[in-house]
Amino acid sequence: MTTATQTPVFPTFEQVFQGFAAQIGQLREMAPPPTMPEERRLRRAVDTLIEETNADEAVWLESCIHCGQCTTACHYFQATGEARYAPMRKMDLYRRVYQREISPLRWWYKLITRPVKLSDFEDAQELVYDSCSECGRCTMVCPMGIDTASLVHHMRSAMVAAELVPPELAALRMEQKTMGTVFGSSPEALKKMVDIIRQHYGVDIPLDKEKADVMVLSSAVDLVANGNGLLATAKVMNHLRVDWTICSDGFESANFGLLSGDMELWAKQVDPIVAAARRIGAKTLVIAECGHAYPALRWNPMLRSGGLPFEMMYMSEYLGKQAKLGNLRLRPLEGRITYHDPCKTGRRGGAFDEPRALFEAMDADFVEMPANKEYNWCCGGGAGIFLLERATRLRDESFKIKLRQVNETGAEAVVVSCASCRLNFEAGRQKNHWDKRVDSLVELVADHLIDTEAPAGEHEPTAVDKPVPVEEVAA
Amino acid sequence: MSLLEFARGPAIHASLIILVAGIMLRLLGVLVLTRGADLSRPRDAFGNFKGYRTVFSRAWPSDEFTTPTRYQTVVAYIFHLATLAVVVGIVPHIEFIASLTGLSWPGLPNWIGVALGTIALASLIALILRRLSKPAVYNSTRGDYVTWVIVALPLITGLMAFAHVGPRYETMLALHILSSALLFAYMPFSKLMHAFWFVFSRAQSGLAYAHKGVRI
Amino acid sequence: MANESTLGDLLQSQGISRRAFLKFCSTTATLMALPAGVAPAMAETLAGARRPSVIWLSFQECTGCTEALTRSHAPTIEALLFNFISLDYHHTLQAASGEAAEHAREQAQHDNEGKYLVLVDGAVPMVEHYSTIAGISNLQMLKEAAAGAAAIINVGTCSAYGGIPMAHPNPTKAVPVSDIVTDKPIINIPGCPPIPLAITGVIAQYLTLGTLPEVDKLGRPVAFFGENIHDRCYRRPFYDRGLFAETFDDEGARKGWCLYKLGCKAPVSYNACAHVKWNNGVSFPIQSGHGCIGCSEPRFWDASGIYQSVAKGQFGDGAKLGAAAVAGAAIGAGAALLARRKKSRLDTEDHATQ
Repeated sequence: MTTATQTPVFPTFEQVFQGFAAQIGQLREMAPPPTMPEERRLRRAVDTLIEETNADEAVWLESCIHCGQCTTACHYFQATGEARYAPMRKMDLYRRVYQREISPLRWWYKLITRPVKLSDFEDAQELVYDSCSECGRCTMVCPMGIDTASLVHHMRSAMVAAELVPPELAALRMEQKTMGTVFGSSPEALKKMVDIIRQHYGVDIPLDKEKADVMVLSSAVDLVANGNGLLATAKVMNHLRVDWTICSDGFESANFGLLSGDMELWAKQVDPIVAAARRIGAKTLVIAECGHAYPALRWNPMLRSGGLPFEMMYMSEYLGKQAKLGNLRLRPLEGRITYHDPCKTGRRGGAFDEPRALFEAMDADFVEMPANKEYNWCCGGGAGIFLLERATRLRDESFKIKLRQVNETGAEAVVVSCASCRLNFEAGRQKNHWDKRVDSLVELVADHLIDTEAPAGEHEPTAVDKPVPVEEVAA
Repeated sequence: MSLLEFARGPAIHASLIILVAGIMLRLLGVLVLTRGADLSRPRDAFGNFKGYRTVFSRAWPSDEFTTPTRYQTVVAYIFHLATLAVVVGIVPHIEFIASLTGLSWPGLPNWIGVALGTIALASLIALILRRLSKPAVYNSTRGDYVTWVIVALPLITGLMAFAHVGPRYETMLALHILSSALLFAYMPFSKLMHAFWFVFSRAQSGLAYAHKGVRI
Repeated sequence: MANESTLGDLLQSQGISRRAFLKFCSTTATLMALPAGVAPAMAETLAGARRPSVIWLSFQECTGCTEALTRSHAPTIEALLFNFISLDYHHTLQAASGEAAEHAREQAQHDNEGKYLVLVDGAVPMVEHYSTIAGISNLQMLKEAAAGAAAIINVGTCSAYGGIPMAHPNPTKAVPVSDIVTDKPIINIPGCPPIPLAITGVIAQYLTLGTLPEVDKLGRPVAFFGENIHDRCYRRPFYDRGLFAETFDDEGARKGWCLYKLGCKAPVSYNACAHVKWNNGVSFPIQSGHGCIGCSEPRFWDASGIYQSVAKGQFGDGAKLGAAAVAGAAIGAGAALLARRKKSRLDTEDHATQ
């Protein structure tokens, strides 16, 4: 390790956020317009719900007793107090379709209830996209244990069939469907980023090894905007001295099939990753800090992962396990911190212990938020909501709950482990002039690594005057 | 045929038939639907089994939510338990159940039955007042109000008959039996089916989350 | 049949003091819920009452109503009163029979046209040949007698509401008197048998005031039938405390606990049994350890079993419920299977178009 300070090449996350916000703003114009006649769109939406409804969904739809407790747990309702944001409302349209098409009394319902129209789906768009991050917190309090998030997911699937995906998500879905990538990331962008990291930081990323034990994923956010993320990942993997690689034909964590509700695209995005991992004989697949990638891969119900030759783990999970095994040599962490479990890896993913093992390994002054682990409040930006301009007020207002939660801990910084959460926290930090730091878990760990010898392949850093602009990195 | 003879005879008979047939219809009509498979590997081998725990643990909200949900949870339990105690505890009801099933057990003194019935009614009223006072929280539909009335009627008429207040006993008894018949006939087609659904809906979510290693 | 010309003469001849007679009148007035001041007037009018013509028709009956009235261990004022009325016609009690008896009836009807009372016990079979007197069917005789009557008094549940003859399966198509006679004032004094005082009280009021008493919606004098037996039952405290006899010889039965579980119909029966009682106030069924069978109520025999408590449902056995459960399950499962077919059809179509 040289003693020369490394001049940062990559933008700070504050800058990342601002650049990203500008890019997101352009997405609305890129949204594909509806192509099918209304009748057909309605029919496809209804048919989708019929196809995706099993006994589980039917039971949940039957079970709601309008007790109102779900409103206690939902950040969007708590932030606005508006009746339509009550989680129970999200299943109203789904229930109507279920009653008329699937329920045992459907002949009666068809007789006495009014038919479902496309405008009903249009009205429901806000409820299943803008104001539901599928965080599952309502399920924690519901006396009937209704899994609202699953029902919302099926509604999103119907919205895809009806060409009613909100513009930003629709644009990204189309981009990923046709090009396999988003935000202009690509195997070329990956290669370029790997080169920059080697040249400017002397950190080697083994790209496209024929065989490797550990296959690591990246994400569009890291490749296109937050180079520090990939850099930190590489530092940590090299520190661990594991046989790892990134495959340029299966590196993208982000899954806009899952985010938009497009089940087909979800599967299509997963296939190349699984194929690549098989090909290189990986034993472990490590998912980048991209929250929804965890359910997209690890908890993908369409993929028989028990039969795969490799285990899939989230970044925080992998690092935490390594910390427990004593493989990470870490400097102590200064200052009090708290941790925000991403909904998709915490409550909806089950990876609570590993991130905390890292804080222990860093001897951190770690304080849990008042509501933590499976009770953690959602940051409000997940499930693609961070991308929706229409949902800005909802995001901003519900984020204030996180502000209060973090403030109550007395921590100087909140550690997050999901790009969406991080972007949302950063947005909130800037808008509220918040005095707390927002740190990424992998970047935090990378900053506290103790390297006793120079890792292979490091060179003298090249001095640069200014950070490399985001656009140039993405080009 | 007097009102009481009609209530005790054809009315209650038809309503019990509708109740039983309706419950079976609705239960099987849903539970026989397909079960989707989650092919992902569970977090640990016994994960799914532990998920059944939710059926019981969800009987009381977790500490995280206790404060905001406390009033409703407590009053709803008082209502359910007092009503149950009256339904299985007072002698006329035990007689009715005995005529259907042959089972019987000792009953409560009448004054306790009246006290419990009063508590049940008071808690039911407290619940509707709360529902009316917080429309954004409850998002009540017509079905919610109709169900409340149909549940309240047997309580009110039963209390009046049992405590011998109001119209003549046989009239009050006839009204009580008729309103109970209405409740029985209505039950399978309303949200009152949650009496059965809660087991399945809690278990399903419990399993889905236990699959991922999360206790809910 | 008495020979004295007035009731007062009759009573005097039997050794009933004026004081005892006044006591009887004030008791009757009270029971009839008539104003207290009526008692002396009643006494005077009754004392000077001429013998009213009464025709007593007995149809499908067991004669229990007549027995209740006439059988007594010691002569009672009620019995004497009963004796006083000019009972011009009574199948059981009259000495005459055959044509002579019928002739007496027709004569009385003719002589007292518009003024005589018709007392009926027993139900009337619509299948006329099941009950005839001297070849005349009950239905026919009733219609004839009612035509010139001032009022009809139904003595006993059979004539009032059809009673036991009308019980399922009712092979004789028995009906109450009020189904046949619709144009005359009718008073029902039900019971199986009725309390004798109820009968004499009604007659006494008619004789003295010329009016019939206030009745409830079942045509029964409110004075005797306005109250629930349950409300006057001396065992009510045990009902309230939840202490019941479970069988006829258990601890509860021996201790005189409530008989609700043994089928007592007192909560839905209206009569004066619990406070006026029987045999000059000696006892009544509940006091003797048997539940009230509700004999003063319409259709008491069919409405529920004697030993089935009021709360028990009346709809035969539970086999139908079992069948309903199976039917419901089958329909529900069928509906779900059809839904599954629809779902898989859509799935296949969907995959075909891809």
